[in-house]
Amino acid sequence: MEGETASDPIADGSPPVSRMRKLLFRRMLVGVKDGRFFLGSFHCIDKQGNIILQDAVEYRSIRRSPQSPMEQRCLGIILIPAACRSSCHVDCSINEQMSLLSISR
Amino acid sequence: MEDRGGNDVPASIPSGEQMVWADVSPLIAAACNDLHDGELIHGENFNLFAAMSALEIMDPKMDSGMERNGFHSIEEAIENGAAPIPLSLDRTVDVQRCIDVMDHLLSCEATWHRGHSLAQTVFSCIYLLRIERTSTHPLLHSYCRIMRSTCDVVITAVSDARTHEEEDFFTTACSLPLKGDGDEKCLSLLNSVEETLSRQLRACKAQASRKKLCDDIGSLQTYPDLEEGYCRAVLCRLRFRKHFYHALVCMRKPQGRGLELAKKHVMSCLSELGSMSKSVEFLRSNAGGPSDGEIECRTTASGKQPFGFDANINSRLSAPTPPRAIQILSWKQAIEFFEKLLNDLDAIFSLPLDLSLENILQFLVQFQKSQPDLVARAHLQLLLVQDGKLYGKYPFHVVISRALVLPEGTSDQAFQENEFVVQLGQLTINLIKILCTNNAWQRRKLGKILQDWGVISIQLELAFRREFDEMFKVSADEILFTRLSKRLLVWAEEKTYWIASRFLLLGFQLELYSPKEYCMVYWYMYVIFVNLLEKMQMRISYPVDDWRSRCVMKRMIIVKKVFIFFVLVVKLSINALSRIILPKTFCIPLFLQYVNKREHDGNIGYMFKTFTFQLARRKGKKKRDLAKDVGSESGVCASSSCMLLQCYVYISEGLTMMLAALHNERQIFQISSPFNSEHERFIQHFELLQRANVPPHISYHLFMESTTHNVVKHNYFREVQRILASLRGSFSGDSTKLLELHQLEQVIEHNRIALSVIDKVGASDPSLDIRFEFQHHPFFPTVPFKIFEKIHFFWLKRNGSFAFQGFYFFNIILANACYNYCSLSMIVNFYRTAIHIAEGFCGNFFFFFEKLYLFDEIALFSIAQCQKEMLDKTLHKKVAIAISYNVTCWVTCSILPSY
Repeated sequence: MEGETASDPIADGSPPVSRMRKLLFRRMLVGVKDGRFFLGSFHCIDKQGNIILQDAVEYRSIRRSPQSPMEQRCLGIILIPAACRSSCHVDCSINEQMSLLSISR
Repeated sequence: MEDRGGNDVPASIPSGEQMVWADVSPLIAAACNDLHDGELIHGENFNLFAAMSALEIMDPKMDSGMERNGFHSIEEAIENGAAPIPLSLDRTVDVQRCIDVMDHLLSCEATWHRGHSLAQTVFSCIYLLRIERTSTHPLLHSYCRIMRSTCDVVITAVSDARTHEEEDFFTTACSLPLKGDGDEKCLSLLNSVEETLSRQLRACKAQASRKKLCDDIGSLQTYPDLEEGYCRAVLCRLRFRKHFYHALVCMRKPQGRGLELAKKHVMSCLSELGSMSKSVEFLRSNAGGPSDGEIECRTTASGKQPFGFDANINSRLSAPTPPRAIQILSWKQAIEFFEKLLNDLDAIFSLPLDLSLENILQFLVQFQKSQPDLVARAHLQLLLVQDGKLYGKYPFHVVISRALVLPEGTSDQAFQENEFVVQLGQLTINLIKILCTNNAWQRRKLGKILQDWGVISIQLELAFRREFDEMFKVSADEILFTRLSKRLLVWAEEKTYWIASRFLLLGFQLELYSPKEYCMVYWYMYVIFVNLLEKMQMRISYPVDDWRSRCVMKRMIIVKKVFIFFVLVVKLSINALSRIILPKTFCIPLFLQYVNKREHDGNIGYMFKTFTFQLARRKGKKKRDLAKDVGSESGVCASSSCMLLQCYVYISEGLTMMLAALHNERQIFQISSPFNSEHERFIQHFELLQRANVPPHISYHLFMESTTHNVVKHNYFREVQRILASLRGSFSGDSTKLLELHQLEQVIEHNRIALSVIDKVGASDPSLDIRFEFQHHPFFPTVPFKIFEKIHFFWLKRNGSFAFQGFYFFNIILANACYNYCSLSMIVNFYRTAIHIAEGFCGNFFFFFEKLYLFDEIALFSIAQCQKEMLDKTLHKKVAIAISYNVTCWVTCSILPSY
């Protein structure tokens, strides 16, 4: 799974890398540690796991309780450092979800 | 808190149709593991620059929405008791806390006026955000209402004036509850509360005299002893609000009709501020707050932390730009801020409503000297320009026609419809508006509008030429009209140069010039001032008398015919001559250029004059008595403003010459930067002026040419002294002008001596330590006096004779004592020592007369200064004698060698 991609990383890459590449421009929802969520189109990720989202919208709960309503505002292009990322979801069909899950296991 | 997102996505964020949120965290982990260092997964449209400008989430300096362990919303804060109503069940504590809220709001308001966002300052108050909640607490409710209305009035004024572009955050009030039902009743609410309180205060006084306690329902709190103090503290805060609001509303009345009333309210405001400051003692003693050391930076008078504020509660309302760190001004600073604001407003109210344009411009410049804040400037602008009219009363064509002193018989209608007058009116409005903005913005804008003024001057000149050419065959009425365009031209040009001079002078206030650039800056200032003076004199010297002007026109027509012939002859002969004479002789190209430019210009008398003037200037034989010259020519005595301007001309010229000489002789103040050359700096500083062609035909090369000399031949400062002396009388009633004169005198006095010292010692003397300081005047520097000590000692080394040394010590000490402005007793002590030393050494000092006279000017100056002080206080006799003895010596010293 590792090491073999050194010859031409951009063209092929390892299976996870190429699958990740396929997710580019998809709607991605990233949760951060203070409880907010950011929804935007997946723009870029680096080795350290820092993600850049485009046209991002911030969602935040109005109250401390888990079921509180959310309010939102537009932020534009944002960088979410890997250290503060607590969850990451991609908007996809059920079939696709199955394949994604199977790969990750 | 951690991992709340986890695997469950909140239901309120919908996925696409027939889509689900699939967790990709494991995939990301795997992919990152496989990536190489520095490798990215990105699309084809990836742009590193755009990526660099991404907001970094969870970075406190960039992420304004970051959770800072505060409340998530106003509702949550209220539920958690962050802003209770009443503020405490104990009524005394309730009043204390209420006053704290008022004080903190005042500090917030001052901070907001300083340019921070409303959401993070005034509206960090939860009571203000949910004003309806406070209705059960009349005191707090009335204060919050009037606070909100005041903010609204201020925002309206600033956005109407459109000065807010400079202070970017000021008017951003997105989604803040600035207005609400019942705001119009804020004053009546406040009045009723105030009435109750003042009744209570009276009752307190009565009770105090009767020494009787009675539990009144209307009392503010529970301790009768404290009642009076709290009543006073609350009352002055409420009254301040009331008068401030009234003042702001009155000021907006059209045509300045509310100014009288507004002035009264501002005065009351100031006195209430005084009472507020006085209430500190009382509040502090009863609050049991922190120690005195800490209290200085607190935002309330009592020193306690106020209830009901959360600076972060609104952060999500602000734009997604990085948050600004805000330091709320302390309560003391806030009081000072409002005092300054009110004084600035008061200065506006004292502005007479029938000033001429000239005086208004002068007032604006004077007003800006104290660097007033945005709110005061916005109100000044609203007062001056209302509905496109000056004070809302005088249309600008009337203003211009007044400034021009039009000849009789000019049709008002024709003047008003003249396209140039319309354009100039618009430009003047713009100019006034720009002069009301802050210094930095003002300078930028002035540089830009110079081009517009330049363009209209060119158009006017073209129009005038066209009309003048047709003048041979037209009637007298049209001649009049021609003269109008000429007048407009002179006026427009004068204003252009005035703007240019303001542009350059603002550079000093904004500290844009380095000492190495002073030479070129003063040179340019000199050029601008000369041109401004020229235009001003032309305007003043224009004959007002109609009959005379027609005679002049007729004469001019004849002169023009003669001149055209003359020009032809000269052109021919120059063409012939230029083959013989070396082309380098500058007179000829200059003259040709001049002739070509002015060939069709009408004002021939003037043309001859300026030509000779320019030629003379080029040759270095400057016409010195320009003011006198024109005065005698036109019969109009040079007005005092012209003479003051003449002083500026001389000072700038003198400074240029001094700097240039130092520059050439000693290689100091030379620009030797690896980044840009002197030429590039010249362009950077004066590009806007050059682009607007103000003044025409000025280039870096001309600057270089005119500053090649090593010696300062003429003492310009002496000239200025002469003029200043005669000016004193004409400005006797005007304190600001007198101050200006005094400052100029100081500058002149110091620089004249510095110049003569530099001149006599020689600029190349390495002991000279020349620096410039703006301690006496904002635009013209002086050479501070520490240099003289060095000169003296250097001199001593070279001419090391004892007697000489003795005498010198005497004067060094004297000079230093005077110039470094020591206390009087120190000077006296210096004197005693000096006299002893001198007595020991100066047995035979006459021998050294010849050398001593070099420093006559310093000595005389210092002695005169010292004597003045001594005589004032009638001090030591011996010292006084010594001084007069010394003066005689010096005078003899300086006179003897010349025989």
